[in-house]
Amino acid sequence: MPPTHATHLVADILDQQLVDTKKNKLGKVDGLVLVMREGKPPRVAYVECGAPVLGRRLGRWCERLALALNRRFGIREKPRYRIPWSKVKEIDIDMVVDVDEHPLLAWEDWLCEHVVRRIPFSK
Amino acid sequence: MKSSFLQIALGIITGIGGFLEVGSLATAAQAGASYRYGLVWAIVLGTVCLIFLIEMSGRLAAVSKHTIADAVRERFGFNFAVWPRGAEIIVNLLVLGAEIGGVCLGLKVLTGIEARWFAVPVALILWFALWVGTLDIIENSTSILGLLTIAFLVAALKMHPDWLPLARGSVFPVFPPRSESGNYWFTAVSILGATISPYMFYFYSSGAVEDGWDVKDLPANRVTAVIGMSFGALMSIAVLVSSAHVFNPRNIDISRYEQIALVLTPALHKWGLPIFGISLAVCCFGAGVEIALATAYSIAQTFGWNWGEDEKPAKRARFSLTYTVMIFLSIVPILLGVDPLKQTMFSMALTAVVLPLAILPFLLLLNDEGFVGTHRNGPIGNIVVAFTIFMAAIIAIVAIPLEIIGGGS
Repeated sequence: MPPTHATHLVADILDQQLVDTKKNKLGKVDGLVLVMREGKPPRVAYVECGAPVLGRRLGRWCERLALALNRRFGIREKPRYRIPWSKVKEIDIDMVVDVDEHPLLAWEDWLCEHVVRRIPFSK
Repeated sequence: MKSSFLQIALGIITGIGGFLEVGSLATAAQAGASYRYGLVWAIVLGTVCLIFLIEMSGRLAAVSKHTIADAVRERFGFNFAVWPRGAEIIVNLLVLGAEIGGVCLGLKVLTGIEARWFAVPVALILWFALWVGTLDIIENSTSILGLLTIAFLVAALKMHPDWLPLARGSVFPVFPPRSESGNYWFTAVSILGATISPYMFYFYSSGAVEDGWDVKDLPANRVTAVIGMSFGALMSIAVLVSSAHVFNPRNIDISRYEQIALVLTPALHKWGLPIFGISLAVCCFGAGVEIALATAYSIAQTFGWNWGEDEKPAKRARFSLTYTVMIFLSIVPILLGVDPLKQTMFSMALTAVVLPLAILPFLLLLNDEGFVGTHRNGPIGNIVVAFTIFMAAIIAIVAIPLEIIGGGS
């Protein structure tokens, strides 16, 4: 449940820890996407994650760099991933989101599979 | 829930690993040799600041369940967090290299084999300890082995220190002649850099979150910060005092680690060298463990990855690979033949330079009700942090010119 007291998008939500319902750490809230609606206040539509999202906050060059690196070395098809706000279940110490299929742990899994598991005593 | 014994163990390992390591050993030995008791104040001042900052790291973790790195990104955003994190990676690589160098030098003292040959095996053992060990095993084994450093205290007492000048030197700077003042202040800056090491905050707060501390643990946290850090400081002062008695009267300026190795010999005779070698190796190993973990913790927490030393590496792939890469990258300078003492002194001064960036967030986070609720800083805590930031900022501005004037001489 979203909190009842006033929540500030930048101070409280942006950069918060994202976890799934099993407490796996998925990353941070790298960006927030608002939709503009005519005659109504804007609405928070998505939580956004990914290196280009973070890069963009530092500058366009950083976003372009992240995208270029993703094209060359990336293992995720889309380097930006959006979680619909309706999937946000709880905002407390961490932000709990109810998502099953997501590419957020693609790197973690790839490195585990291709590197870590090949080293002895890793399991 | 951990017993308070284990909590205090975390403090003591942070104290030993973070305190008496290659940096404080080298800086304290140099200070004693060149200026007798003239720089004890720098250790005392650094320790007081450190006690407050460590206590705050533990309090933030216990109350908010956030580590420092986590809270910095959350509270100040990625655009701020990226700077201390970037600086930390560079500094920690150098300091980790210096610590591994310290272990190698300790082994050289014991075996007579050139230090460089130990670099790869030591890095492998350090990595293996992290790869298979848990936080508890690492904390307790290093705490117990670190008690060996009491040898430095025994040696210092056997030297019959002059208590009154020592007490005076702990509070007031004893200025050297003007011609030496560049080196004097450079050594003071290096001592402060070696004492107030930011990796200790990241390590300590991550350990506290991993051990599941809560508000009930705050008294133990306070005791731990004071006892752990004071224990480390006492050993550091003991090194300084021994060095003052062994080297200062003979006008020996320390320019090589091999000279520092003789610091225990007059007091402990034939046991002096081996005990020095073992203590150096153990302390630097403990510090190496902390730095490698602290860097992996803070990078993982900045990007929101799974982290934790108690889980198997396969469950924390990015976290485990971060410390793996750090450890093996850090030994490159040793393998290239960089002088370990120069690398130590340089990395300690560099630590001092990045210090303001690392401790500025403490002032804001520990006064933020959103994080620490009613457990906010009192006025004394705030004054100490503000003073430390002010001091660190001045140090950051003067350390570079001093490095050129003092470090080169």
